Amino acid sequence: MKKKMNLRLDLVRLIPVCALGMAITLLLPWLHTVQTLGAVTHNGLDLVKSQNLLHMTPLTAAGVAAILLSVIALLKPSKALLIAVAAALSACVLSGVYALLTLKRAADASGLLTQAFLMRDLGPGLWLYLILAVVGLFLTLRAMREPIEYIVLTVMASVWLLPIVWLVLTAFRQESGAYTPYIMPKGYTWNNFTRLFTETAQFSFPRWYLNTLVVAVFTCVFTTAMVLMISYTFSRLRFPARKKLMNIGLILGMFPGFMSMIAVYHILKAIGLAKSLVSLVMVYTGGGILNYFIAKGFFDTIPHSLDEAATIDGASKNLVFWKIILPSSTPIVVYTAITAFIAPWVDFIFVSVIMKDEYQNYTVALGLFRMLEREHIYEYFTRFCAGAVLVAIPITLLFINIQKFYVEGVTGGAVKG
Amino acid sequence: MRAISHVSALAPSSEQEGILSFKNILQHGDAATRASFLIMGFGCLKRRQFIKGMLYLAAQVLFFAYMIGFAWQYLGKLGTLGDQAMRREWSEARQIYVRTPGDNSMLILLFSVMSLLLIIGFALLWRASVRASYKAQLVEEKGKKQPTFADTIRALMDKQFHVTMLTLPTVMIIAFTVLPIIFMILIAFTNFDADHQPPGNMFTWVGLKNFTEVFWSDALKAGTFGQILVWTLVWAVFATFSNYFFGMILALMINKKTVRLKKLWRTIFVITIAVPQFVSLMLMSQILHDQGPLNTLLKQWGFISENIPFLTNATFARITVVVVNIWVGIPYTMLITSGILMNIPADLYESASIDGASPVRMFMSITLPYMLFVTTPYLITAFVGNINNFNVIYLLTRGGPLVTDYYQAGKTDLLVTWLYKLTVDKQNYSLASTIGIFVFIICASMSLIVYNLSGSSRKEEEFQ
Repeated sequence: MKKKMNLRLDLVRLIPVCALGMAITLLLPWLHTVQTLGAVTHNGLDLVKSQNLLHMTPLTAAGVAAILLSVIALLKPSKALLIAVAAALSACVLSGVYALLTLKRAADASGLLTQAFLMRDLGPGLWLYLILAVVGLFLTLRAMREPIEYIVLTVMASVWLLPIVWLVLTAFRQESGAYTPYIMPKGYTWNNFTRLFTETAQFSFPRWYLNTLVVAVFTCVFTTAMVLMISYTFSRLRFPARKKLMNIGLILGMFPGFMSMIAVYHILKAIGLAKSLVSLVMVYTGGGILNYFIAKGFFDTIPHSLDEAATIDGASKNLVFWKIILPSSTPIVVYTAITAFIAPWVDFIFVSVIMKDEYQNYTVALGLFRMLEREHIYEYFTRFCAGAVLVAIPITLLFINIQKFYVEGVTGGAVKG
Repeated sequence: MRAISHVSALAPSSEQEGILSFKNILQHGDAATRASFLIMGFGCLKRRQFIKGMLYLAAQVLFFAYMIGFAWQYLGKLGTLGDQAMRREWSEARQIYVRTPGDNSMLILLFSVMSLLLIIGFALLWRASVRASYKAQLVEEKGKKQPTFADTIRALMDKQFHVTMLTLPTVMIIAFTVLPIIFMILIAFTNFDADHQPPGNMFTWVGLKNFTEVFWSDALKAGTFGQILVWTLVWAVFATFSNYFFGMILALMINKKTVRLKKLWRTIFVITIAVPQFVSLMLMSQILHDQGPLNTLLKQWGFISENIPFLTNATFARITVVVVNIWVGIPYTMLITSGILMNIPADLYESASIDGASPVRMFMSITLPYMLFVTTPYLITAFVGNINNFNVIYLLTRGGPLVTDYYQAGKTDLLVTWLYKLTVDKQNYSLASTIGIFVFIICASMSLIVYNLSGSSRKEEEFQ
């Protein structure tokens, strides 16, 4: 009884109106008459029947469900029923969007049409249908006293995920070519992935993947060790030059990185390491160790009483580091290690300056970058997407794990509320 | 308690500074100590600290060998950066042109900087050796036992632990950050460009010519620099604030009490940051291509009849990069502001809603002022980050569309992307370095403001 009182019945009454409106909009193409190629006049319904445009079925089914459920909800309002209405309306929106993305191709394929089918005839109907469905959803959420933010969040989430969905779709796309004049691929295949690993004459993806993995592992080990060393020193040890060194570290971090990369290349060449994987490890480690501020901030929060007690018991500073600080800093060690591990996977600038034309020693990022050069893009675009998926999956999983520390990293611990 | 321990820890070291000053050592040191001014480790050797003494001596020998055998040939030419150009001479005997390699200005400059850094390092080592000798003398005068090498090692693990911990990282930072930065700063005062490319040609010092050219004397370069600077700042303002506001609104929506599945929403947006930028941005540039899917879709839906030049028309391109940057940046702001938004005292909102304030009103007079107050340092950091936002610009438009009234740059180029193109594509290192110095000055001054604003530097000791 109490639950019913929570629903806004005045709004519940409006939902069926919306749903019925949607049904009417779907009838628009049925009534409209179109001129086809052979000067024979069809009306929209004929066309739909003759071409068996299956896209209309989910639209209609979801619409009918929405009407029925909303009418029942009108007679016997309850929260469960309204949730069902919301689900039906969401299905309407989804099938509407799908139809928007695909109907045009299907209609074009029919060869019957001379004019822009979607806009002139079905189009306004479909757009109206979508708008009414969203309004219906809005009313339903309001009636349930649920936040309408869900609608905005869903729209935003789809905008944000769309490029990534497109990436995955393209990775499985059968036809090659960079851009297609349509969204949904014509066919799906695993070939893009297998060819990445089998056709290695020009772009040896497996080799690059291995290179990157090796470089990432070594960079990760060295950077983590050094960052921990620096942060422990600056956080726990007191010595005359401490403040000065910390300020120098801060200033050095502000120089644009590419300003010095040419010099780095020549230094590496001078010591005979240019174009090698070792040099990459050195460069990434050299660049990574200046990011010690987060780890230092973390060490600062470990109570001093712990190490003071240990010092009184005669432990050296070295022992304090291993026995007290390190065991209580697992999260920051993981964060440091993961960020250092990710760096070689996403950098394409330094590696391009260091490796130049040494194809064998490329990393995946640079290799994939090269695939999109003008002369390769047509043939390699789908394979680029497949490779990108293979790189993005592990990085995404790692990143989701460290996002909490990432926040502190970006704000430099300055924003603590 | 802690304050006292700090004072007692600091006092002896400043006292030591006095005793170990060169003046004092010269006055009170004995013959062996004074001899270590010339022969490093002499005092230590005499007082039976063999390993330590030998190490100092070896360092001195190696250093002089390095200076005479290697560094001198470069340091000697630092003033001119080389005077022997590469020559091609007809060799009668072999009937071919023989190339005699000339001076390589770049190597001269690079190795000179390296040697100068080594000289500084050696000077520090030399000072340490003199002090070590004097300390050994003091110990002997007091009649105590000299510390053995094992004692020194033990000290490096405890009292001197900072030396142990910082040595390797410092060497790495000097080799891969300090040395290159000094080198490139010096390049800004030379004419190292495509026409003066070692080993074939030499470059030389030109003083402030690059700076005057970029700022006023060369109309094309100065014009390009001015316009790119303005666009960089405009871009940074738009990029920073659009992300800030929209990101905060997104965070507010997700944080709303009644919204369920918070974690799911957050993860969806985090995924887009987690995908490497070279992937997501290059995809974006494909999607927004003149014949790309977005134009196709808009045409199919009948909104447009001509392709929109998202990335090929100057005005469109500038709008596009800002909009795409919103796509890139909102999740970051959302992540960062989420935690702070939850800290805003709830009773502020409660009393506001009792007074009948609208949500917009509450956002404008409670949320925004609070957030601006807390996140000012973050905002400035983000602003600096956007000045240097290489990825978004380079991967989307490559700085294009290119125009002829710009000096090797395009309409969406920022100072950093221009710098990158000048270095990698055009080999105009001297101009690039000049711009780099300028970018550094902007970023460093802003970052110093942040550092002082944030208070984390001032409060550091209290906080611990």
